[in-house]
Amino acid sequence: MREVSIVGIGSTTFGRHAATPIEQLGVQAAVEALLDAGIDRSRIGALYLGNFISGPLNGKEVLAGIVADQLGLPNIPCTKVEGACASGGIAFRHAWLAIASGQCDAALVVGVETMTHAPTAQTTAALNCAMDNENDGPSGLTFPGLFGLAWRIHADRYGTTREQVSAVVKKNKANGLLNPLAQMGATLTDEQIAASALICDPLQLYDCCPASDGAAALVLVASDRLSGTQGMPVDILAAVQTRGSPSIGGHPDLCSFDATVSAAGRAYQMAGIAPGDVDVVELHDCFSVAEIVDSEDLGLVPRGEGAIWAAEGRTAVGGQIPINPSGGLLAKGHPVGATGVGQLYEVVRQLRGTHPNQVRDAEIGMTHNLGGAGVACTVSLLRRPA
Amino acid sequence: MSAVNDTPALSVVRCAACGRVDTPRRSVCSACLGSQLEALAIQGEGVIASFTTIRRAPTQFRDRAPYDVVVIDLDAGLRVTGRLDPHSSPAAVGARVRLVSVQGSDTVFAVSQT
Repeated sequence: MREVSIVGIGSTTFGRHAATPIEQLGVQAAVEALLDAGIDRSRIGALYLGNFISGPLNGKEVLAGIVADQLGLPNIPCTKVEGACASGGIAFRHAWLAIASGQCDAALVVGVETMTHAPTAQTTAALNCAMDNENDGPSGLTFPGLFGLAWRIHADRYGTTREQVSAVVKKNKANGLLNPLAQMGATLTDEQIAASALICDPLQLYDCCPASDGAAALVLVASDRLSGTQGMPVDILAAVQTRGSPSIGGHPDLCSFDATVSAAGRAYQMAGIAPGDVDVVELHDCFSVAEIVDSEDLGLVPRGEGAIWAAEGRTAVGGQIPINPSGGLLAKGHPVGATGVGQLYEVVRQLRGTHPNQVRDAEIGMTHNLGGAGVACTVSLLRRPA
Repeated sequence: MSAVNDTPALSVVRCAACGRVDTPRRSVCSACLGSQLEALAIQGEGVIASFTTIRRAPTQFRDRAPYDVVVIDLDAGLRVTGRLDPHSSPAAVGARVRLVSVQGSDTVFAVSQT
């Protein structure tokens, strides 16, 4: 397998782009990434595009080919991948795989989604397509509900409090204020969070990420083919994808995701590093309690202490392990198919030392992207070149 | 609805080859790929593993909201998702429940009176 580097990044803001057709958002991010890489389009040998619900919400499929056509890319394999909210992370891993295996020397990754134009009921129905609708859907469960179930267990088992969980919300919303791409940065108090509407007890409104439009893109190049590109390449140490149970009944522990635990384990092994070597993480905080569960599943925080670490400031920028300095899904936003690519965009900026909410001397960065009821997961590890 | 002594029962499948019991609506056994799956009615009794109150419901459930979704660890060894009967005593992690109605995969449980 060949070494692969990220040499170009691009992203739209995450938020409302209701007047922009979905393929245009993808093209905007891709053009920015191609210009950032300084690479000739003729060298792009494959395009992988992550998208989840453009079919039901836009009536548009084959987005990979549409975006490639608008970009004037050559006749190359263009593939749309779907893994619910992990679609973007999976697209990245497939592009990495295509180059690492020698199928091509350079590839373009795009993640894109538009959601804000659709009525909430339609968006909810589209997202619920990623549930086990034979066994879990008939109960009336929703994805926020899945994390209400997780929170209940975390609280029951570890004594996790509303205030401790609010620390995650306050941190990520505050981080979002520093990120010009973020949709919903805010300065929030415990009282404001606790007074927000109940969604799926104990989950409240401020515990939930917004619906978002947005796109992000990456240019990947074989590390021995970097000539003719510009800027600081960031090395891919690991790109792992795993499968967990698609159903609630298949999860032996409702406040841990097997797919995350196994992806992290394989990623650390592949990179030859330990969790303590990671300097910055962008992880899948679709809900406040998800960040707590994820940070424990990734081995970054001791089991049961995710909320305590947040409350003690250990996961803030400047803390022991900064989590979601971008604002995360909670504040940056969650255009579902774009999110995984957006996380990689953020970590590359951290490792280049050009992030608006910079973690000092960040050398190794991690991303974690989770889909469905934990059915699909990607974990990636990146390193700034010496 | 299937019933055992007038008590609602859950429909599951049992693999004729290896005996694995699993949720229905599958055509092969995920343990041995055996394709002979026998319908089996099991008692809907168990304990609540977790629960949440859904206040923003999908469209088809909107008229029932708010309602509790419960995850039940059945005595038979399966973990299933269902809804709490609105007339039930309040849910609690570890509380014993029994199945009170079944329509297809739509299952409703109530906390057992002790």
